[in-house]
Formats: sequence, C-alpha cells, structure tokens
Amino acid sequence: MQNKNLNLSIKSYLDISQLLQTYRGSHEENRSFALKEERLQKAPTKLLLKWLDANIYKITTKLDSKRYLEYLSSFSSILGLLSFIIGFLVGLGLLSYSGEAPVNIIYYLLIVMVVPILSMIVALFSMVTHGRVADFFTLLFPLHWIEKFLNYVSFRKKLSDFKVPFSLELSKWLFIERLQLFSLIFSIGLFVSLIVMVVATDIAFGWSSTLQISPNSFHTILSAIGIAWAKIIPSAIPSLELVDMSHYFRLGAKLNSSMIHNADKLGAWWKFLAMSTLFYAIGLRLCFWLFTKELLHKKIEKEFLGVEGVNKILQEFNRPFISTQAPQPEKHLDIVESIKEKIIPKEKDKYTTLLGWNYSIDEIKLSKDTTSITAIDIFAVGGSNSFNQDRDIAKTLRGRVALYIKSWEPPTMDFIDFLEMIIENRKVEKVEIYPLGTVGKYYKNSSRDIFIWERKIETLQSDKVWVINNE
Amino acid sequence: MNNTSYPKFAVVGHPNKGKSSIVSALALDKSVQIGDTPGTTQVKRGFPLKVDGKIVYELFDTPGFQRARQILAWLQEHEPSSINKRTDVVKAFISEHRDNPRFKDEIELLEPIVNGAGIIYVVDASKPYGSEYEVEMEILRWCGQPSMAILNLIGDEDYRDEWKRALGHYFRLVRSFNPIKATFRNHIELLESMAQLNEEWTKSIKQAIDVLENLHQQKIEQSIDSIVKHTIHSLSYVYTQKIKSKKATKKEEEKAKLRYRTELIRNEKHLERSIESIWRHLDIKKVEHSLSLDNIGLFSKQSASIFGLSQKELTITGASAGAIGGLGIDLAFGGGTLFLASLIGGAVGGMGAMIGFDNLYEIKVMGQTIGKRELSIGPMKNLNFPYILLSRSLYYAYIIANRSHAIRDSLELKQEEFFGEQIFDVHRRKKLEKVHSRLRKGEKTTPLMLEEYREVILESFNLI
Repeated sequence: MQNKNLNLSIKSYLDISQLLQTYRGSHEENRSFALKEERLQKAPTKLLLKWLDANIYKITTKLDSKRYLEYLSSFSSILGLLSFIIGFLVGLGLLSYSGEAPVNIIYYLLIVMVVPILSMIVALFSMVTHGRVADFFTLLFPLHWIEKFLNYVSFRKKLSDFKVPFSLELSKWLFIERLQLFSLIFSIGLFVSLIVMVVATDIAFGWSSTLQISPNSFHTILSAIGIAWAKIIPSAIPSLELVDMSHYFRLGAKLNSSMIHNADKLGAWWKFLAMSTLFYAIGLRLCFWLFTKELLHKKIEKEFLGVEGVNKILQEFNRPFISTQAPQPEKHLDIVESIKEKIIPKEKDKYTTLLGWNYSIDEIKLSKDTTSITAIDIFAVGGSNSFNQDRDIAKTLRGRVALYIKSWEPPTMDFIDFLEMIIENRKVEKVEIYPLGTVGKYYKNSSRDIFIWERKIETLQSDKVWVINNE
Repeated sequence: MNNTSYPKFAVVGHPNKGKSSIVSALALDKSVQIGDTPGTTQVKRGFPLKVDGKIVYELFDTPGFQRARQILAWLQEHEPSSINKRTDVVKAFISEHRDNPRFKDEIELLEPIVNGAGIIYVVDASKPYGSEYEVEMEILRWCGQPSMAILNLIGDEDYRDEWKRALGHYFRLVRSFNPIKATFRNHIELLESMAQLNEEWTKSIKQAIDVLENLHQQKIEQSIDSIVKHTIHSLSYVYTQKIKSKKATKKEEEKAKLRYRTELIRNEKHLERSIESIWRHLDIKKVEHSLSLDNIGLFSKQSASIFGLSQKELTITGASAGAIGGLGIDLAFGGGTLFLASLIGGAVGGMGAMIGFDNLYEIKVMGQTIGKRELSIGPMKNLNFPYILLSRSLYYAYIIANRSHAIRDSLELKQEEFFGEQIFDVHRRKKLEKVHSRLRKGEKTTPLMLEEYREVILESFNLI
C-alpha cells in the first residue's frame, strides 16, 4: 500500500501542483511529518510523495489529475486503437498479392525497418534539443498533427477549465513517450497483419529495385539486417538461392520461369520479414519506448521537485523547527483610560505631617526645601521600614497629610495598603500625594507618570486622597 | 515537573522595569503585552525555546513584586535554624498563601524560582537606586537559586554605577541589556552570561545559542530568497491588455501604465509582508506622513535619490552592462574585433543609463493577428530601477531583522543612513547586471545565474 503511493507519476505531479496552490503546511507540521518518517529522510521525493498522500484529502474539489488521466486514457485508447488499425491496414496493403506480381519485400522492409529507425532518430534529436529546434522535430511527427486534430473532439473539452501545469519540456517528453507507445502498437498491428496474411493467403515474395543490385550484394545486405537472429533462427535468413530466384524486373511484364517453377519456395521469405518486424519495428521500439519512459520518469521527478512551493517544503523537512514563543496566549489586561479626575493643583504649603514613601528622612528634608512645604511632623515610610512600623505611623496621623512619592516608580500594592490604613484613620482630613521626579530632572515629573499614579489612586474611590500636579 | 533537565529562568523585578520587554526580545515574541501600567503582567507565562518540540531552555515572564515587605517579614518570622533551609521557607510561604489573593503576584513570580529556575532580576538603571529594592533582592536571596541582574536603561538618565554597586552585593552577574535597542549580538551575549550562572546549564545554553544563530541565519537566507523572487518578478513583469483599435489610445496607455505600476507596488508590499512574517514582525504599525517606504513611493524621484545609484555610478554600471553584451560578440570572433564590440557596447549601455527616470518601461503594441491587438508594458527598461528596488528591499529587510520584538512603537525609517551605492559596488553591480540585462530583454535566467545573483544580494545584505 505504501509503495503504491510512493511511485512518482504524472498523477503525483499534478496532485502536488494542485495541492500546493491551497495548502503548503506550516514549518512545524512539515518538520514533524518528516521526523515521523525517519527512514525516508534521505529520499526527498519519496518523503514528498508520502506527504502528498497524507495531505491529498485537503483538496476538496475534483482532482486535476483525475480529469487529466481520464483525458489521457481516452486519448491514448483512441490513438492506440487507431494505430493498431492503421498498422494492420498498412500491413494488409503491403502484403496484398494480386497473383500477377510478387510482393516486393523492399517496400515492407522500408516500413518495418527504415521508417522506425528514422523516426527513432528524429525522436532522439527532439529529445536532445530544446526550444524551437525541438519544436521543429516535433512537427515531423504525424502524431503531433493528430493530437492537434483531437483537441477539437469532445473529450478534450473535459480539460477546458483546467490548465495543465506541465512545462513545455515536460510536455515534449510526454509527447515523445506516447509517440513510441503508439508506434509500437502500430508495429504490432503490422505484425499481426503479416501473420494473418501468411496463414490465410499464399503470398509470393520477391524483390525488385531500380538500382542495379546483384543478388549477392542483396544477400549480404539481408544477412547484415538479420545478424541479430542469424544464429538463433538461421532459417529466418534468406539463402542466396532464394534471393537469386526471387529477383524480378517489372519490365518483363511476366514473371520469369524460374520464379514460377519455385513458387512454393518464395513464401519462405515470411520468416525473415516476421523476424525483421519483431526485431526492428517491435523489439527496438519496445526498448526505445522503455528508454523514453524512464527518461520521462526522470523528467517528471525533476519537474516534481521544481514545482512552486516544493523547495520550501523540502527545506522545512530538513530544517529543525525552532519555536521561542509561549504556547498559551496572554490574558490581556484591560486598561481603562478614562478615569475620574483625582488631580488637584498645589494649594497650601502647610501640612500637619509630611511623609516620604521610600525616601529617607534626609531626602525628605531636602525635597521639602525645594518644594517649599512646611509640616509639623516628618516621617519616612516604606523603604527599609517594616510594615508594622508604617502601620504605627499611619495611626498617629491627623489633619492634612502630604505624601512624597517617587513619581517614576509605579504604585505597588504595598503602597496602596499603607494608603488604606491612612484612609481608615478618621483623624486624617486629606492626603495629598506629591509626586517628585528624580534629582537629575530637578524633581520634575512626566505627565505619563502622574497619569499612572492618578489612575491607581482613583481605584481607591476615596475623597480623602488626591494627587498634586506639580508638572 | 520540577525535575526537568533543561534550564529555566524567571525574569523578575519591581513592576514596570521592562521585564516583559526583555522576555519579548529574548523570546522573539511580539505577543507579550507590554505597558507602562503597573500590573500589565498578571500571571507568569513560560516561553520555551524548542527545537523540534524538545525544550532547550525556558524563560518565565512574571508579575512584579507588590507586597515585598510583607513577604520578607513572613519569611523572617519563620527564619530556619540553617541558612540552607531558607528555600523551604519560601516554599512554605507559597504553599500557605496559594489561595490568598493579596500575594497572587508574588506567588506567580516565586513559584518558578523555587521549582529550579534561575533568577534574572531586572531594574531600570535610568532611574536612581532606592533601598526599597533591597527587600526584593533579599527575598530572591532566600530562594537560593543562581541569579543575575539586568540593568535596563528605559529612560535617558544613567544611574548604572550606583545600581552596580548595590546589585553586586546580591547577584553573581550584573549585565546591561536594553531590550528596545538590543541587537542579535547583544541577545547572544546575554545568553552567554546566563550560561555562566550554573555549570549544569552551560551545555543547554550553548546549544540554545547555536540554535538561535542558525535560526537567525535561516531568516536572513529566507529574506534574501524572498527578495530575489520578488525582484525577478517585478523586473520581468509584463502587463498586457487588449486594445480596440490599431494603435493604443492615450487613455488605454495611461490605464496600462497605472496597472503596471500598481502590480509592481503590490509586489513590493507583498515582499514587505513576507519579510515581516519571516522575522515574526507582523502587524507593524507605520507612521503616516513620516519617512516610510509607503510614503517614499517606489516610483518617486526621492526613492531614486535615496535608494538608487547616482547618475555617475549608473553610467559606469550601464557601461559595464553594455560591455558584457559586447564582450559576447568579441568572444564569438575570438577577440578578432580587437574588443571594439565591448567598447561600443559599453558606450551604448552608458547612454542608456542616462535616460531619465520617466523612461521606466517600454510600451509596445503587440499581436497583429486579426482581432487580437494587445498593448504590453514591460519588462522594466530603466537601468536604475533594479537597484532602487533591491536597495529598498534590503533596507527594509535590515530594519525588520534588527528590530527588537520588544518595540511596540511604529516603524519609521531613517533616510540618512542608507544609500544604494554603498552596498552595490562596481564589482557586485557587474554580477547583478548579468541578470538585470537578461530580464530587461525579456529573456529567462538560468538557475546558475540566479544562484550567483542571490549570493551577491546576500553579500550586500551583510554589508549593511
């Protein structure tokens, strides 16, 4: 089952082209797939085929390959049948014996030997050339024109809304491969007609040529033609005597007496003709077809690996997937920007108590002079004080309290806890938070820092606590 | 859970000191919420560096300390007889207060530490040191885990010296790291420092460094591949449209020109998205009316002057490109032309380069077969255009590649930093012209040519 899916074919080429238009997988998915198929890691094509097999279900529309193969199957069946019929009819035509003149084996040899060899040479030229030169050779094939004609018949319309993604080069190879197949079928038709004619009729074979070829020379040529099977089936090589007695001239109007006298021996040519057909038209063509089939396969593999998107997937198969992100999305904090106004301008400079959150007493005194604030009591809170020390200070407070804070430090819950203790103290009338910037900035604050403090103070919902804007 | 073999690091500190920014920069993750509102991070969040699903190390972003003094007071109340039992007291605190909402933030930040994470304590060194931080540092000391401090310069003042003096009493290592300005090299240096915290972690962190360096290189190469792909598309693009009469009308021509330009602009936008995606910088905001590629239109004279080649360099490039063509003729005649063809080719190429910026592309009326007349625009003929396109792409890739994931501000480009000529010297331009000249003629390029082209662009990128 696995091996069936891992065979590279036109189908897989079309399938991957279609799949990659809509789905290419993520790096993580592709790498994970490759790691699971460890044994295929050194065979990228097979790995890719396996990937294709695993993801083909993602194509929800009809597969292009199905449509194309249906077309190819119809096309090949019709042309295959046509080739066989034409081959058979050509054979009948070549071997038709009127009883007056013998069948000239030279015609037959031309069709079963010279034409196949020539067409294979043209095919070879077409294979090794590119672009316009290759197109020229292609034009020499009748199949090219038959194919053009068949474009107008109904089954071709199945592909009307589907653009075959083959490159010109791949199309050429497909064409050459199919050409060999149809030529092979044609030759088989020819061979069948030879057998039918030999069995069903009495054919007298002869040879005749305008060229002055002596029977000896002709025999040498025929022996050279049949060299491949001479040792296996020696009877399939015509003897010099047979060659000599089969020679005839059209000008004589009638056959010579020797031919008539040896009429029963003239039929012996059929073995040679059958072997020539089998060897040159069928055997050689079969080998050539298999050769083009193999080359086509290699071409498909090359093009398969060159399909847009394939390279990316192959790279993802090989590259480790590196992830640095958090697997879970963050719970986002909803920041409410509109708040109730908690800012007051600096009004009075006299306070009952001056506190400094995270400031030392010396720092508070220094800031007090800079900010022109007077207070009866001064306490340092937060910082190195313990929580209990701060609680005791909060209990002793009364009247108006000014509280220095470092504006650049955001308000922590520790600060809020302290502020809540002050709010609970009924003797305290008002707490004015006085944000101070850094000494380097001459205690100046940024509006953003003030805003952050204001927003936090607002959450206390207390009328006692205010932030002084000293920007 | 506690016995995982990979190193873990908890990034901790006072609220709003850039912990999330540091995590975002180190984890190359823009999804971390960063804000100047204290308490933006409410729960700890792990950022594992995974290679094929296997964790190499993990960073934890944590909420800031909120009630540090109360916790230290509790710990001191439960002071054990031996100092090596202090971690157990911290664990006991977590266990006892797990359901207490007052200590939610502290539990979130202390939990990974007592589970074996190293401590990365972050302070804002642009603000003065305060003794209140000592409470936090003392709590961390109670945890007994390897620790280091990071000086993050958020503002414009610099109090690093006083911070270093204080932090030195509590932490083995003190390093400066600005997540907003940090380059990839700074990132690696910080990891190297983290590797020194614990001998057992060194191997994993070294592996992480290798992994990140590979990842960085992969991203550069992916960006270059994308630039090559989009540049080839733009330079070889031909727009065709059917026309009614024998000759295209002015209106048809203008419409075709617009479509042609639109496609090239669309292609550039597509490339930008592709680069942003490679570097995981999607959803970058761009400031309107500022210097951005969007505002310096691809076809503007400003773009040509910033990103393109000067007239002089263009002439040299044109001459060398023409000479390449001429050289082909010379070689065909075995040098029998006394290399005159190269000289003539060079002169013609140089003249071509002088053509004004408006002559961007050739307009042809094609297809004279009955009933099928087409107006075609392209491929791009202007000699400067490929350099404008490439410079813009490389510049954008450079900006994105060096942009920290901690940055949440809009993208703004700096004009004065970049000139096309600086990265494409004559030697490189000569190599690039092999491809450009083919594309101008509407010819195809070979894989070998494209490989060389890619190499030159990669070299140029590394020069920026």
